[in-house]
Amino acid sequence: MRALEPWVVAPLQTFITESSARLILLMTTSGQVVAQHGFARSVEVMTAAALGAAIVASTEELARIMGGSRFAALVHGGAQQSCMLAAFGTPRGRWIGLVVFGTETSVGLVQLFFDQMVEQLVSAAPREQAPATPLPNDFERELDTSLKELFGR
Amino acid sequence: MSLVNFAAREITCKIVYYGPGRSGKTTNLQYVYGRVPEARRGRMVSLATQTDRTLFFDFLPLDLGSISGFSTKFQLYTVPGQSYYNATRKLVLQGADGVVFVADSQARRFDDNLESLQNLQDNLLSQGVDIRQLPVVFQYNKQDLPRDLILSPDEMDDALNFRGVQSFSADALHGTGVFETLKGVSELVLKRLAAGSAVA
Repeated sequence: MRALEPWVVAPLQTFITESSARLILLMTTSGQVVAQHGFARSVEVMTAAALGAAIVASTEELARIMGGSRFAALVHGGAQQSCMLAAFGTPRGRWIGLVVFGTETSVGLVQLFFDQMVEQLVSAAPREQAPATPLPNDFERELDTSLKELFGR
Repeated sequence: MSLVNFAAREITCKIVYYGPGRSGKTTNLQYVYGRVPEARRGRMVSLATQTDRTLFFDFLPLDLGSISGFSTKFQLYTVPGQSYYNATRKLVLQGADGVVFVADSQARRFDDNLESLQNLQDNLLSQGVDIRQLPVVFQYNKQDLPRDLILSPDEMDDALNFRGVQSFSADALHGTGVFETLKGVSELVLKRLAAGSAVA
C-alpha cells in the first residue's frame, strides 16, 4: 500500500481487510493519486486514476444536466471481478475511490465498508493543510539534466 | 494542482494539450509515446470516436525519473478539439498544472485557433483559474506545409501569443518541435513547483 499522507493508511487498511477488495485507488477529482493498494506499476495507477476520475466527472456532469443530484456510487459488474467508483468529501477536498473486487465478496459489503472508510477518513483528516514546502535548491539544475536525458535534447 | 508527496518523495503533474480540432494534439502524444523508452511510460489511452477523433481525452503517463531525489511523473492529456465537446474539455482541464496550446498554422484555421484560445480562457475562468497565472506554451504545428498555406511562427505569435510566452514551431507528425514543446512546458511547471507556489 502507498499513501500520500500517513493518516490515510489506517482507514484504508481496515477497508481492504474487511471488504476483501483486490485493488483500491483513492484520487482527487482531477485524477491525482492519493493512495493505492494492489497495483503493480505506478504508471498503470495513473492510467486507472485518470479513467476513474473521468468517469465520475462525466456522470456528475450528466446528473447536473438532468437536474438531479450526484450519483452516490457507480458499479460496473463483471463475471470475475467488478468495479465500484464513488466520490466523497473530505477536509482535504473531494476525493474519489475506485475499488476492484472479485466474487469472494459482494457489492453490498464493499459499499458498506467503503462508507465506513469514508467516515474514518473524514474524522482522521487534519483540518489544516500541510504547509507549502519549497523543493531543494538543486531541483532546477537536476530538472534540466533529467529533461535532457529523457527527451534526448 | 500538482501533488507533492514529501514522505514518498514523489511529484505528479498534469499537463493538458489544448487547441482546435485536428491541430495535432493527439499526434503530439503519439510521437512522445513512440519515442520515450517503455520503462518511462505507461499505456497510452485514447478515448476516441470510430473515426479516431478524440471523444473524451488521450492520456499518457510519463516517468521523468528522479529529480533531486523526487520521483517525478507527468500525466499528459489532450482534450477533444471539436467545439461540440466543450463539456468534456472542461472536465479534462480540471486541475491542470500546465497547458500546451497546439495551434494549426494553416491560414484557413486562423479563426479556429482564436476561438479555441478564447474557449481555453473561458473554461479556465469558469474553474477560477486566470490563464496569466498558469504555465502555458504555444506550439505552432504543421509548419512543414507549403509556405503559401500557413502563417509563419512570427505571424502566429502576433495573432495568438499576446503574453509573449514561449512558442515552438512544430511538425508533430514527424516529431519536429514535439519534445522541445514538452520540455518547455515541463520546465515552467516544475520551476513553478520549485518556487513553492503550487505545492499541495
